[in-house]
Amino acid sequence: MNFFKRAILSITRKKGKSIILLAVIFILGNLISGAISIQQATGNVETTIKEKLGTAATVELDYEAIEKMDESEMMELEIEELDLELIKQIGELSYVKYYDFSTSTYLGSETIKSYQGEGMEEEEVMYEGPSMDFMLKGINHAPIIDLEEEKGKLVDGRVFTPEEVENGAPVAVISKKLAELNNLHVGDNFTLINEVYSFDESNGEDKLVTSRDLVLEVIGLFEPKAVKNDAEESEEGMYDFMDIEYQNTIYVANEVVSSEMRYNMEEYMKVDEEMAAAMGEEEITDYYTPLFVLNKPEDTEAFEEEVQPLLPQYYKVTNASDQYDSIAAPVESMSKLSGYVLLVAVIATILIIGLVVLLFLRDRKRELGIYLSLGERRSRVVGQIVIEVMIVAVIGISLSLFSGNLLAQSVSDTMIDAEAEKQNSEEEMYYSELQTDVTTDDVLESYKVELDPGYVGIFYLVGLLTILVSTIIPLIYIVRLNPKKIMM
Amino acid sequence: MILEAKDLNYYYQDGESRRYILKDTNATFEKGKFYTILGQSGSGKTSFLALLSALDSPQSGAIMFSGKDIKQIGYDKYRRNNVGIIFQSYNLIPALTAVENVLVPMSITENEIPEDKKTVAYNLLDYIGIVKSKADRLVNKLSGGEQQRVAIARALATNVELILADEPTGNLDEEMEQEIIDIFKKLAHEHQKCVIVVTHSNEIAQQSDQTFHLKKGVLSSHE
Ligand SMILES: Nc1ncnc2c1ncn2[C@@H]1O[C@H](COP(=O)(O)OP(=O)(O)OP(=O)(O)O)[C@@H](O)[C@H]1O
Ligand SMILES: [Mg+2]
Repeated sequence: MNFFKRAILSITRKKGKSIILLAVIFILGNLISGAISIQQATGNVETTIKEKLGTAATVELDYEAIEKMDESEMMELEIEELDLELIKQIGELSYVKYYDFSTSTYLGSETIKSYQGEGMEEEEVMYEGPSMDFMLKGINHAPIIDLEEEKGKLVDGRVFTPEEVENGAPVAVISKKLAELNNLHVGDNFTLINEVYSFDESNGEDKLVTSRDLVLEVIGLFEPKAVKNDAEESEEGMYDFMDIEYQNTIYVANEVVSSEMRYNMEEYMKVDEEMAAAMGEEEITDYYTPLFVLNKPEDTEAFEEEVQPLLPQYYKVTNASDQYDSIAAPVESMSKLSGYVLLVAVIATILIIGLVVLLFLRDRKRELGIYLSLGERRSRVVGQIVIEVMIVAVIGISLSLFSGNLLAQSVSDTMIDAEAEKQNSEEEMYYSELQTDVTTDDVLESYKVELDPGYVGIFYLVGLLTILVSTIIPLIYIVRLNPKKIMM
Repeated sequence: MILEAKDLNYYYQDGESRRYILKDTNATFEKGKFYTILGQSGSGKTSFLALLSALDSPQSGAIMFSGKDIKQIGYDKYRRNNVGIIFQSYNLIPALTAVENVLVPMSITENEIPEDKKTVAYNLLDYIGIVKSKADRLVNKLSGGEQQRVAIARALATNVELILADEPTGNLDEEMEQEIIDIFKKLAHEHQKCVIVVTHSNEIAQQSDQTFHLKKGVLSSHE
């Protein structure tokens, strides 16, 4: 009849009390289990989504800060351009796996058609003015970062050679859809047109001044990586738009882009004398947008810290994972809420179980006194009570492991729906080089309350530890028991 | 001499003054003898027994067990290995059967106990007058006399030589009382135990080998 056996007998002989304790632990266990389930699920979302967002970083204008300025500040605002040397300097930092800088422009074409979405009947949209069907995207990093970072993948042909990039060779990588639409193959040439318009202030119309052709040879075909489910397409106007934009992107060397931009600017200035006068002798500089791909997601903070001081005023470092906070807002708010619930549930459990056990122990005061009068060590009497509580706790917690998880699933379903609705109206968007096609929908999709081993482990740990702590109050009671007073 | 009270002083603080229950008390107890401690209600009999059973400690003086201060042995250790205590209100564990109650101290003591504890417990109970069918009953389904027998069996379970009892028959009728007293006599005389029983019954005192009277803090002995 050692203390362990006594504990077992005590549980089985006093079923009423054991069941009451079990019920209390089960109910509180559900709260803890639910909260941990949600925490675990949101934690998983964070890793998945941050992984999806990648380790890209860029340096761009701090639009939010500029937006907040009042008018007088705005008037004095002078924005320096980002120096190419600085971009290269940042690119050499140890955190950077590879980097690129890019300049881009839009050109039209008279010979090839642009992709306008799947299944859409080709409606000839006739409009005056510069045609901007194709985005000419310059690159400096020959293998094309977009393809290396799996925004798209090369399905035919090849990427650039360093020499082609260096010399601004007239070669291009285009999307497979665009190629199919225009019956283009690797090795074929196609023609874009660079049109220079002037704006007539009297009638508000654009007028074609001059133009030149740009002939490019197709060296490779790419396909966007994220091909979405057709069924969803209707509700994803934004996604469609981004997809179309990407399908009509033509990768070329930066030099190709800047040469076209220079041509356009020079021709324009011939017409617009005012502007030419304003520009004076100033050289037309190219504006590059940098893109840095870091080695590890953990590097983002260190990278940001090191780069920020190097930047001109009004610029800031933007990481791809920065967007996590905005796209994952509904999940984040749930994570926060479940954190509070967890804290409250743990504290409540410690108090409630502590008091329930204490109440039961007062009933058993005589029994405890008997053990002590028989010379039993207080530590073993304490041990017996802890074992009794923990055995019931293991059962109660195991039961709530499943039910709490189910509870969390239905609670978070409701909350996510509510949050997602709120989300749509609130979002403010700024254009960013790192615009991602990972949306709040992706976040919600990757949110899954599951019975994974991590959750089970953490829940048992937190649950049992909480119950263990809750036995401290009653144990103080045992330690202070005086057997003489009880027995004699 | 198995037990000795040496210059015991025990008092309760009563405001500013001390109310002495035992003042410079000395007493010795031998194996094989049945002792009674007699005194009026409130005279301090229970207090004295609590000191002898190490459930309380004196302000000064010492209690020696086989020549060793029980403080040095350790109160808990002394209780689990050297003494069996019987209370007026039985103090059995209600969730356990009679035999389980007897088994409890067997797992607490460090004394040598035969391998087959359960058989020992049944035999002990049988010797005290509890048959097997009653031994397997939860103790609160036994009569007062039967419960006190179980308590005696429990006190004997650790194979100690010293038995202390505080008014063990206080809740029993006379017939039952005599049966219990007979057990104590047998334990002292046949099994060479030292049995010390607190009582306020002169009839019991007359049957003992030696009686101590406790009155106003003074313990006096009568053979
Ligand atoms: N904790 C205490 N504080 C103060 N006085 C106490 C305390 N416990 C007992 N007393 C007093 O000490 C005296 C002795 O008490 P004790 O219980 O030893 O008497 P007793 O001889 O066993 O009496 P009874 O025959 O009624 O059992 C009593 O007068 C009692 O009121
Ligand atoms: Mg008394």
